[in-house]
Amino acid sequence: MFRLHDVSYAYGGSKTGVAALSHVSLDVAQGEFRWLLGPSGAGKSSLLSILSLEVQASSGMVEILGVPVRQARRAGLARLRRRIGAVKQDFGLLPDMSVFDNVALPLRLQHRAEAEIAHEVHAIMKWVGLENRLDALPPQLSGGEQQRVAIARAVIYRPALLVADEPTNALDERQAGRLMRMFHRLAELGTTIVVATHNDAIVAKYPAPTIELVHGHLVRDHG
Amino acid sequence: MARQRYHDGLALRQALPGRFLPFLVGSMAFLAALALAGGIAAHSLSQRWTHGAGAVTTVQVPGPTDPATTTAAMGQMPATRIDAVLAILAATPGITDTHRLSDAELRALLAPWIEQTGDPSLPLPAVIELHTTPGQDVAASVLPRLQAQAPGVLMEHDSVWSDRLAALAASLQACAGLAVLVVMTVAVCVVMAATRAGLLTRRQAIGLIHALGATDSYISGRFATRVGLLALWGGMCGSVLALPMLLALSQLAAPFTAMGDAPATAPDWHDLHAWTALLPSALLWMLVIVPPAAGLTGWATTQLTVRAWLRRLP
Ligand SMILES: Nc1ncnc2c1ncn2[C@@H]1O[C@H](COP(=O)(O)OP(=O)(O)OP(=O)(O)O)[C@@H](O)[C@H]1O
Ligand SMILES: [Mg+2]
Repeated sequence: MFRLHDVSYAYGGSKTGVAALSHVSLDVAQGEFRWLLGPSGAGKSSLLSILSLEVQASSGMVEILGVPVRQARRAGLARLRRRIGAVKQDFGLLPDMSVFDNVALPLRLQHRAEAEIAHEVHAIMKWVGLENRLDALPPQLSGGEQQRVAIARAVIYRPALLVADEPTNALDERQAGRLMRMFHRLAELGTTIVVATHNDAIVAKYPAPTIELVHGHLVRDHG
Repeated sequence: MARQRYHDGLALRQALPGRFLPFLVGSMAFLAALALAGGIAAHSLSQRWTHGAGAVTTVQVPGPTDPATTTAAMGQMPATRIDAVLAILAATPGITDTHRLSDAELRALLAPWIEQTGDPSLPLPAVIELHTTPGQDVAASVLPRLQAQAPGVLMEHDSVWSDRLAALAASLQACAGLAVLVVMTVAVCVVMAATRAGLLTRRQAIGLIHALGATDSYISGRFATRVGLLALWGGMCGSVLALPMLLALSQLAAPFTAMGDAPATAPDWHDLHAWTALLPSALLWMLVIVPPAAGLTGWATTQLTVRAWLRRLP
């Protein structure tokens, strides 16, 4: 769950920079699923970056999983990041590391046992249908395959908050459907999920409360 | 493709290659070892000069067998001047050793002049060598008492030379200290530059594992451990390479630093004990300490560099 109060964000500093978000306030409870909609450049990726602690809001109050972000120490933020999963618009895979190692990365940073890591990676990669590409490097995969690797890495440690930036744009309809069912299952288990998308068809097919941004302003919450 | 057992994406073997840094740190350690050796050598030479041979005082007693001037207090047969002088010197605190040069020693010493005058029966003064504990001006206090017993007694102390040599040794030590300081500063800069280059090559991976929740101390610890081990290895190489050089130097310096019991030739190559006995223990300790000092310096420098760099990430 997370809360934003009067949050603004500008790339390159609040005075001279490009305003990406203006005075956004939001309150999303644990286990909720939300669509995040808006035209290109509306600020969707920027909002998700704030939620995944990749950037700090220029102003306003951000509270994630009960932790007020501005007051937290660096080590506290690192701990918090380990409870957040993020699927990036550009996938964010390391090109010189195998698919297995990319997906295993969050578990290795938690110092899990290698046997357990191997088990978990095989299970999740089987679910996304890439269990026979574990030794490939990301650039050797298609766009849709890379996206599935990114999704696998984001959910492998069952995050308490999951933010996904256009996670279905490279997937076919069947895979997108499977992904949506997995998201709803995770939400039932208590994960708070925000999914940014341009895909009106999938929003119509899986209706859920919606956040909409236009030019960095919040124009719709819930409805 | 074989999977590495532990892989966190930092790929430090690529970011911090295993040859460049040890080579540079090794060269620094080698230079530091030589500079430290110079400092230690200067120290032991100055010890020798100010406490040993350099601190000899000579006393000349003319007419040594003439009777000493008797004082009223002395109710005994007037002794010879030389006996009286020796007795006073023996009873003076601060004088550690007296040695009266034998006639043969004296004639050997004066041979050039005696031959010139051509008179072997020329009356010679007695000459006594004194060793004094350092820092005490014994001559000033004892000379009037000697002159009271044996008029014409002369005392010569080469303190001008030993003082100058001591000053020279002190400045050599300061130079050595300065050299070590400069070498360490350069080493720290080299480690910082190598670390920064490593951070740049793995910028993307660092950003990613930071986003996945790796702490600053985890990332800086991984870099610092790698650099610390490379620097330790470099320091060991530097120390080992400096060893033969130092052995050769101390072989040369042995007659000046040792008390005359140094072997004139190098020990057998396989006689490790003899070789190590050749080096002052301070030097041996220094060679042992240089590698861990290099490792620790590399570790700490990297910790600070990486932590400062990570501050740019939220
Ligand atoms: N790194 C950046 N530096 C400067 N400005 C940026 C940067 N990233 C985004 N912006 C600007 O911030 C605004 C919001 O961008 P953002 O990426 O959040 O939009 P978006 O809603 O995700 O768009 P899209 O649907 O195309 O992904 C845009 O005007 C964009 O030009
Ligand atoms: Mg975007």
